Amino acid sequence: MFPEITAAKISWRAYLLALGGCLLTTLAALPLRHLLDLANMVMLFLLTVFLVTLKLGRGPGVLSAVVSVVLFDYVFVPPHLELIPSDAQYLVTLAVMLAVALMTAQLTAGLQTQTRIASSREQQTRRLYQLARDLAGAASRWEVQTALDGYLGDSGYRAVLHLLDEGVAPQHSTADAELGDFVQDVIRRAKTLECPKCNHALFVPLLAPSRVNGVMVVTRSDDKARTPHEEQELFETVASLIAIAIERLHYVEVAEETHLQASAERLRASILSALSHDMRTPLTALVAMADSLTLTGRVAVASTTETATAIRNQALAMDQMLGNLLEMARLQSGKAVLRKEWQLFDDLIASSLRQLKNTRGSHPVRVHLAPDMPLVKFDAVLMERVVVNLLENAFKYTLPDTPIDISAAMEGEWALLTVCDRGPGFPSGRTEDLFELFVRGTPESSKTGMGLGLAICRTIVEAHGGTIQAHNRPEGGACVQIRLPLGIPPALDHEEMMS
Amino acid sequence: MSAPITILLVEDEPQLLRVVRSVLEGEGYRVFEADTGRRGLIEASTRKPDLLIVDLGLPDMDGADLVREFRTWSDAAVLILSARVEESAKIVALDSGADDYLTKPFGIGELLARVRALVRRIAKSSEGSSRLTFGDVTVDLARRSVTRNGEAVHLTNLEYRLLVLLASNPGKVLTQRQLMHDIWGSAYAENSHYLRIYVSRLRQKLEPNPAEPVHFLTETGVGYRFEM
Repeated sequence: MFPEITAAKISWRAYLLALGGCLLTTLAALPLRHLLDLANMVMLFLLTVFLVTLKLGRGPGVLSAVVSVVLFDYVFVPPHLELIPSDAQYLVTLAVMLAVALMTAQLTAGLQTQTRIASSREQQTRRLYQLARDLAGAASRWEVQTALDGYLGDSGYRAVLHLLDEGVAPQHSTADAELGDFVQDVIRRAKTLECPKCNHALFVPLLAPSRVNGVMVVTRSDDKARTPHEEQELFETVASLIAIAIERLHYVEVAEETHLQASAERLRASILSALSHDMRTPLTALVAMADSLTLTGRVAVASTTETATAIRNQALAMDQMLGNLLEMARLQSGKAVLRKEWQLFDDLIASSLRQLKNTRGSHPVRVHLAPDMPLVKFDAVLMERVVVNLLENAFKYTLPDTPIDISAAMEGEWALLTVCDRGPGFPSGRTEDLFELFVRGTPESSKTGMGLGLAICRTIVEAHGGTIQAHNRPEGGACVQIRLPLGIPPALDHEEMMS
Repeated sequence: MSAPITILLVEDEPQLLRVVRSVLEGEGYRVFEADTGRRGLIEASTRKPDLLIVDLGLPDMDGADLVREFRTWSDAAVLILSARVEESAKIVALDSGADDYLTKPFGIGELLARVRALVRRIAKSSEGSSRLTFGDVTVDLARRSVTRNGEAVHLTNLEYRLLVLLASNPGKVLTQRQLMHDIWGSAYAENSHYLRIYVSRLRQKLEPNPAEPVHFLTETGVGYRFEM
């Protein structure tokens, strides 16, 4: 990638070719010696020197200059086949010829070098431009490093980024500690330094407009390449491109964080308002009912048993709400770990129904399981929370004795679980909003709740790579459908599984 | 008549302690109490209770540690009360030797049902019957045969072993790990779906309504429980 600008490796073959060229010219000129003037013969040799230099470079050019003069003298200058010319004036011819040949060689070689430098510069610029374009599209530090690796390719150099935000280089050994010190030094002085002890590694600071972002450490992976120090200017250019990309990423992160904070702030506000309304109302009812137990006799109140049952139900409803709230907090904190295992839908439905045996009332529940439902991978505890929430909604918002249908089926690569009721259905046109936090179908409903249930369902289902959708049945009633990816269930290799 | 069943209640919340104690005494049990784990262990060694009821969140020690220590010298039944929604804490306690758990808040009716089931098990374990009966199913342990409504039910060897393991521990929560270990061996510990498939098969063959089982119950995230 960085073409050699200095004297190219010139093998002995080039010198041999130069020698051959001179001999060929001599042989070609031999039959012409009676036709041409000696001065014109010289021109043939000068052309040879020029061509040799052009094709083979400076060294062979100089060789051909010297050899040409010697051959010319030996073969063409009288006396023939003798080195000492008969006439002293030929000495001038030979001297001028040598001088012109050497100068030709020198100038041609110089021009060649210039051309090579120009073309390598152009190539470098193109590569830098490509790097700049890659860096502009990089969305993470990892992609910045990838772009850099792509730029270096097999150039014989390797570069590692030590970014300030990530803490500089883990220090496992004394060698690493030394490297860490060096990095710190470079950052403090904001100056490129070479580390002679570590295989001439070059430490280039990543200087962005507002601060030093870190250090790029360039090492040679190919010992034949020049030391990174000799390419310092180039690496400093690369470092400045990277510094700008890192700076841009930094500001993107800052912007995202601010956005997150703002939405967390909004969420907190809605939690507080939901808590104060949706928890206080049932609490007030609890206090009133407990009071009514001690007031018996003075005021006409419902029977003790009835009141006690109401208190119990209210408390349990609040416990369910609190459970949802805690679950949501846990899921949103990002610390919840899915304990996914291969599960059966019949198990999930059975355990969800059993959890609700007290709230179910007189609703008949019909379970429709497609035959041969395969194992599906999910976190049983969380998914049970989803099904319980859906069933609870169905029990809560429909009239007693109306049936609830749960069905499980497969469709393509998805496992479907649908809960349907025969109630009033969802308010039309708002089925998407219902899965938002603290959104309720009817905002000031008399039913206890705070608009958490469906939001948790969506969070859990989406964490499993699935989707959840609500719709109303044409014949009346609400349906919520969960889709979970089927995956490939493990083979049952136990001997008895086949029986 | 034999001596009354004794229960040791280890719970640090005084209100709960008071109401649970009075309810249990109302049922004719003899109740001792302790409000810390350390006191609980001392009481347990002197009172030799038939049933230990422990809160998992004690002020001075982890309830699971208490259960583990108690188990080193006693076979009495252990019921755990836990306020934690975390399944892992429950599983640790059950693996340490607890028989059953109740998650707070629980109803008194539910507590009494669990206590009765555990006490019944204490009484049963000394009988050593060769026959298990639940619903319309009879398991003849001596002849290794299972009948439902008098008709023979064919079970594979593994199905039968799982049935016997579950049915001989009625009311006890058996964790996934315990069941996998006892039936399939520890090499299969990662393949808990075998367990689910087998329980599902037992339900198909022996439950009156497999969609809503009453005998083979799932304790989600924990394991299974068999109810008579």
